[in-house]
Amino acid sequence: MLVCGRTLAGFAGLILGVSGVALCQDHPSPDALLHQALELHRSGDFAGAIAEYRAYLEQVPDNPMALSNLGAALAHGGDFPEAIVEYRKALELQPANLPVQMNLALAYYKSADISHAAAELERVLGERPGERQPALLLSDCYLRLGENRKAIDLLAPLEQQTPDDKALDYMLGNALIRDGQTARGELLVDRILRDGDSAEAHLLLGESRIWAQDYAGAVTEFQKALAINPQLPSLNGYYGTALANLGETAEAEAALRKELAADANDYAANFQLGKLLMRDDSAQSRAYFVRALGQRPNDFAARYQLALLDLQDSHPEQARAALESLTRENPRDVRAHIALATAYYKLKRKQDVNKQRAIVLELNAEKHAGASGGTSK
Amino acid sequence: MRSALPALLLLPFAAVAASGDASCAACHKSEASHFPGTPMGLAALSVGRCDILQKHPLLEYREGPFHTEIKTEGNRSTITVTRGTETFSTPILYALGQGKAGQTYVFQYDGAIYESRASYYNAIGGLDITIGDIGTVPQTVVEAAGRRLAPLDAANCFGCHTNGAVVHGMLHLDAVTPGVGCQSCHGDVERHEAAVRSGNVAAARLPHLGDLAAEDMLELCGQCHRTWAQIAQTGMNGPNTVRFQPYRLTNSKCYDVDDKRIRCTACHDPHGQIDTNLASYDSKCTACHAAALHTKTCPVSKENCVTCHMPKIDLPGAHHQFTDHEIRIVRAGGPYPN
Repeated sequence: MLVCGRTLAGFAGLILGVSGVALCQDHPSPDALLHQALELHRSGDFAGAIAEYRAYLEQVPDNPMALSNLGAALAHGGDFPEAIVEYRKALELQPANLPVQMNLALAYYKSADISHAAAELERVLGERPGERQPALLLSDCYLRLGENRKAIDLLAPLEQQTPDDKALDYMLGNALIRDGQTARGELLVDRILRDGDSAEAHLLLGESRIWAQDYAGAVTEFQKALAINPQLPSLNGYYGTALANLGETAEAEAALRKELAADANDYAANFQLGKLLMRDDSAQSRAYFVRALGQRPNDFAARYQLALLDLQDSHPEQARAALESLTRENPRDVRAHIALATAYYKLKRKQDVNKQRAIVLELNAEKHAGASGGTSK
Repeated sequence: MRSALPALLLLPFAAVAASGDASCAACHKSEASHFPGTPMGLAALSVGRCDILQKHPLLEYREGPFHTEIKTEGNRSTITVTRGTETFSTPILYALGQGKAGQTYVFQYDGAIYESRASYYNAIGGLDITIGDIGTVPQTVVEAAGRRLAPLDAANCFGCHTNGAVVHGMLHLDAVTPGVGCQSCHGDVERHEAAVRSGNVAAARLPHLGDLAAEDMLELCGQCHRTWAQIAQTGMNGPNTVRFQPYRLTNSKCYDVDDKRIRCTACHDPHGQIDTNLASYDSKCTACHAAALHTKTCPVSKENCVTCHMPKIDLPGAHHQFTDHEIRIVRAGGPYPN
């Protein structure tokens, strides 16, 4: 997300400033090792700093600042799993160390473990309610997890305090539109547009068009956004989604791949590309759905698509288990009942096929009765 | 649901180069001699082979400020739409549908395939709005001529009405053979033919469609006529569903996923004409409903079963009555069952 891109930069190197140790010895005493590590860290030699921190920590394993700095150096090199281990050790020693909590959350976020990032950020905000940066990052996590309501609950009070915060308007508008509250969301878009045309505003308007299933309208908005800022995070993912829904598969695939080249963990791009490849490349399609599910564990749509792939790949038993679970979670989801009927057919459970089909017809009848203001039967 | 089909049922859309039905005819004489003249064999027609266009050299349709003309001269038909001084004109590529009920035209413009906004309807002997466009209002002469199809929609359209033109979901107009062909249902006939010629019996094997259970056959035919899952997922209801025979048949009380007596080919010869003698279907009903079988029999009549139990339904806008394939006891004045 755009806002979080800014946010992440703002948090980088939080812990280095904590340094209070500056010792110089003739031989490598623990203090000298730490000093050397800090020097290397400051000079940008992260590999060297990591080696020195490790050497120091072998002798002084309970220095939370050194553990945290080691985590930061590891994170800088992209070794997020190791960074998380070190941050956790630091927090065992200093559980209320807010900067370390924040860095731990960022490490989770950057390693695409959004659920854990959200949990850590919730802890941070529990201790510092109303903090803007963690709130924005947490709301981004919620959006990535598809928990739009939580993002709205978090951001709405902040929006009242700072009504001219464009980043906040953008996040909240995003959450509202994804939650189907398009009118309220578009008010925020108008506020963003007051300061001139912006790619972010067109992205939001495009998203709201997708919600209204006006894919041609969405494509128009996304093209305007692309003309202003083709690098805008998530833009190509949504653009590809709208194109795919219009049946423009080749262009859609190109846009989705562009998004994934910039952010391999973008949920929408992974999900949509999985759908596009379903018919021709089951293995690749599955990989994209799994990645989408990694971003939103328990995501209904991704699990449903994986169940369809199981049916397609002749794994009806796996599909049945997944679809039974999905229909239990959402008994009114027609698609899941339809697919479950197919799974039962493959498993030669004729009675269950008929039962699922009857449920589908009943649900469709209820939908029409509701739409026409009558009763179903 | 297309994605949930066994591999053999995906064959209509698979990457198969057109082998040409003529080579199939060398061995499968009976099927090949009848099939080209069937509604499926005539699912798409070039202008030169289209009786309707040949017999109606000028077809006209007016819609608000737009005037549409389809003019045919020899092997060339042109669709022209005018509004005041504006004109759009382009040649027709193919006529889709034999025209027993109706016929729609496709043309190419600006790199895309368009479906004509005006279709020919047999009952009125002329043009009227294409059923899928009812309720929409054209803004330009191009929109009044037709609806632009997305590449995927164009591929689906040609995937059913022609053969050999869709490879990996992409339409290749230069490879179009109009009408449903052998490979549309039977799959890789080219491999089959090569294996037969080389005497490799094992490699020559194609899926034996005659063995399909009712459900599998409805899935196969439903790839073009729409499956139960496809229609159920749209949530469509009312007489609009009558066009989708596999969906309606599946909703019949007597439908059984395993029973070959209720599958499409129990009543319809896929290589032959549709039998319009309704009494000819009685034996299909009595294959299940007979006193000797201790099953429910009709107290009203022993013949022409389909006239009551599969009524003709008027589809608004289609100028045609479709046979409802939801087999049922019809009550006078009763609603259309969804």
